[in-house]
Amino acid sequence: MKKIININFHGRVVPIEETAFDILNQYVESLRKYFANEEGRDEIINDIENRFAELFAERLKAGANCITDADVNNIIASMGRPEDFEAADADGGVPPKTEQQSSSQQQSQQSYTYATSPSRGRLYRNADDKILGGVCSGLANYLSIDPVILRIAFVILFGALFWVYLLLWIVVPSQSQQSSITKRLFRSADDKVIGGVAGGLAAYFNIQVWIPRLIFALPFVVGIASGIFHAAFWDWDFAPRFISGGLGSTLIISYIILWIAVPVANTASEKLEMRGERVDLNSIANTIKGDLEGFKGRAEKMGNDIKEGAQKFGAEFKSTAQQKSRDLSYEISNRRSSGLGHVIGVLFKAFFLFIASVIALSLFGVLIGLLFGGMALLPFKNFFLSGVGENFLAWLSLILFLGVPLIAILTWLIRRIMGARSKNHYLGYVFGTLWVIGLVSLIILFTDFVRNFRAKDFVEESVNISQPVIGKLYVDETNARRGFHYFSHRWNWVDWDNDWPIYGDNYDSLLLNTVRVDVVKSKDSFFHVQKLKFSRGRTQKQAQETAEKIDFGIMQQDSVLLLPRGGFPISKNEKFRNQQVLVIIEVPVGKKIQIDGSVHNYNWFNINVRRNGWTISDDDEWNNDWNERYDWEANTEYIMTAKGLERTDKTYENNEEENEHKKVTPKSDKGYRYKGIDSNKTKEAAPKKDSATQQKSVKEAQPQEKTASLKKSEEDVGSEKASSPVYFLSMILQ
Amino acid sequence: MRKGILEFCIFSIIRRGEAYPSDIVEEMKGANLHILEGTLYPLLTRLKNSEMLTYRWVESNSGPPRKYFSLTPKGEQFYKELEATWNELASAVHALASKKENMPDSTNQNPSF
Repeated sequence: MKKIININFHGRVVPIEETAFDILNQYVESLRKYFANEEGRDEIINDIENRFAELFAERLKAGANCITDADVNNIIASMGRPEDFEAADADGGVPPKTEQQSSSQQQSQQSYTYATSPSRGRLYRNADDKILGGVCSGLANYLSIDPVILRIAFVILFGALFWVYLLLWIVVPSQSQQSSITKRLFRSADDKVIGGVAGGLAAYFNIQVWIPRLIFALPFVVGIASGIFHAAFWDWDFAPRFISGGLGSTLIISYIILWIAVPVANTASEKLEMRGERVDLNSIANTIKGDLEGFKGRAEKMGNDIKEGAQKFGAEFKSTAQQKSRDLSYEISNRRSSGLGHVIGVLFKAFFLFIASVIALSLFGVLIGLLFGGMALLPFKNFFLSGVGENFLAWLSLILFLGVPLIAILTWLIRRIMGARSKNHYLGYVFGTLWVIGLVSLIILFTDFVRNFRAKDFVEESVNISQPVIGKLYVDETNARRGFHYFSHRWNWVDWDNDWPIYGDNYDSLLLNTVRVDVVKSKDSFFHVQKLKFSRGRTQKQAQETAEKIDFGIMQQDSVLLLPRGGFPISKNEKFRNQQVLVIIEVPVGKKIQIDGSVHNYNWFNINVRRNGWTISDDDEWNNDWNERYDWEANTEYIMTAKGLERTDKTYENNEEENEHKKVTPKSDKGYRYKGIDSNKTKEAAPKKDSATQQKSVKEAQPQEKTASLKKSEEDVGSEKASSPVYFLSMILQ
Repeated sequence: MRKGILEFCIFSIIRRGEAYPSDIVEEMKGANLHILEGTLYPLLTRLKNSEMLTYRWVESNSGPPRKYFSLTPKGEQFYKELEATWNELASAVHALASKKENMPDSTNQNPSF
């Protein structure tokens, strides 16, 4: 069953089989090439076509429904193929009308020294099918193989073969050749996702399109999968790395090579060639190829024989020029991708595609990381969330906000590989809506959660201690483990060293280390220890209740004050509400104190919720209860003097510097104040404010004793604090 | 075919009366001289461009219009030259082919008495 088309052939409508039409076209093309140099070329071809039309009319009149392949071939046989034409050289007395170009005689004679080819097996560069110079194509015709194979070889071995290519390009003459291969590898122009490589391969091998596409996409998929598993399970690799890595890069590179080297099937005949469906055209193509070579030979002979040599050479030169320009216009009109521009274009496209895919992949990875991070924090969930509502919202937002984009990306990827196109984009809308719901629930959850920290309250306890006999108090932490699992090493992939306030857990409680030890001057000549327990909550009352429940037992052993190691536990009932414990040690003048380095395991941070926002900070913006706490360094012995806490070993020469390091002044006066210690201060907020600022200005006037800026003091509040991420956050948020 | 002979044949046919290419091919076939139409068309066109032939279009009912060729005066003149050439060639060949005697040879002189 063959397709029939109607053509307008010299003013007549002729029904003709499509295959016959192609044969006819090929024949006319061959004539065109044969008569390229003839001045009357168009007329000749017109005459021949006229003859065809006449014979077609006879056939149709004789009762045929349409013109078939056989008809066309018969007519061609009687008409003769270009190779059979003798008229070109049987033409002694009638030279074709040409222009006299004696100056070009030398040049054209030179150009014809190349064309001394009698045999068919001569190597030429193919002028019709060239990406750069037609070297590969010509070579392939010579060797009767698909030029793509050679192109790929040249691209792969670019370094070595580059000079070979250049040499061939210069030395080997160019000629218009029809390729002799029927089935050639093309890139598909219709069925392309990126460059049509997979489509072309599928057509060549007669397989489904998604198979090569999947093969090319496989390393990505494997890479993603192995990345996920690698991150989640740390030691379990999905596949040996060299398979996913090496194979992936090979496939990518081969895709790019094919993209460059393989031409796009634009014309119908190319597309048919891509599928390798025409056998009858092959013989014609072969013959025509031979024709043209023979024509060149005869033309050269003719040039040698005839005494009007000058005319002949001029004619040939003009003919080659004409042919070249005609070929170029033919190529341009066919939108053939030739030249270096194509290679550069492909490389650019590949590069941008690579960048885009890297970005997409990293987004994907981030999503997965967040998802798994969310999963990993699961044990802590109950410490943060309370109630059914919050839990539900949390799950909802996790699934929708993170899970939906993940699924969407995977789906899109798979669909692209399969080449499936959806008629309507309902899937996109569904995913988008779900994601927005997830986002909304996340926001709701977040605002609700933050409200838990709105109010703050504290409970104060006084710790009974006996005065140390030696006049020096030593502060250390206990060794008791208290059944906790301490996160001192990396936990999954997070390296939770001592920087994090969450120090350990068992299944029922979470160990917080938001503890701080402050040293102040005692009013009397005794040591005092106060314990302040802070907590946040939805309401003041809730905060107070939660604060009350903090269990932080301070013990004393001789002259050593023992603080619970790690911190204090909170249970699932109380939830995490930024509970804090402040240990205030009042040191009388003349007595010494030394704090052990283990106390630095405590990490202090504040979560402050205000009407217009919330911050996490390291300072005492809200907690400025006492006005003068002294800074201290661990493992250093200090003595309390009238001026303040001083080191007992006076290695610091500069008193100023030493003193500057000491005091921490409150930054602002907002919030409530601890009413206990300083009797110099009034107990109300407003006056306190004035006095504080007064005090501050007074202090600033005496740079020796007072700190210059909060920032400086911040720097010295414990050497470890600088490395804490919370500290950074607070600096930024200030 | 040797240069010029084909033109000579074509001219001979056209000289007798205007003809179109298909006819010419038929006549030559009748004279046992087979050429291809594809050979003829370019030749005719060249001759026309050299002003040795001229043509006119003749409409036809069954098929496209046809070109009918006829000789120009210049063509007539050229024909005469070709004819002369051909006659020379023919007689030369004939003379060589029909010689009964041997070639004059120094070692083999056989004068017939």
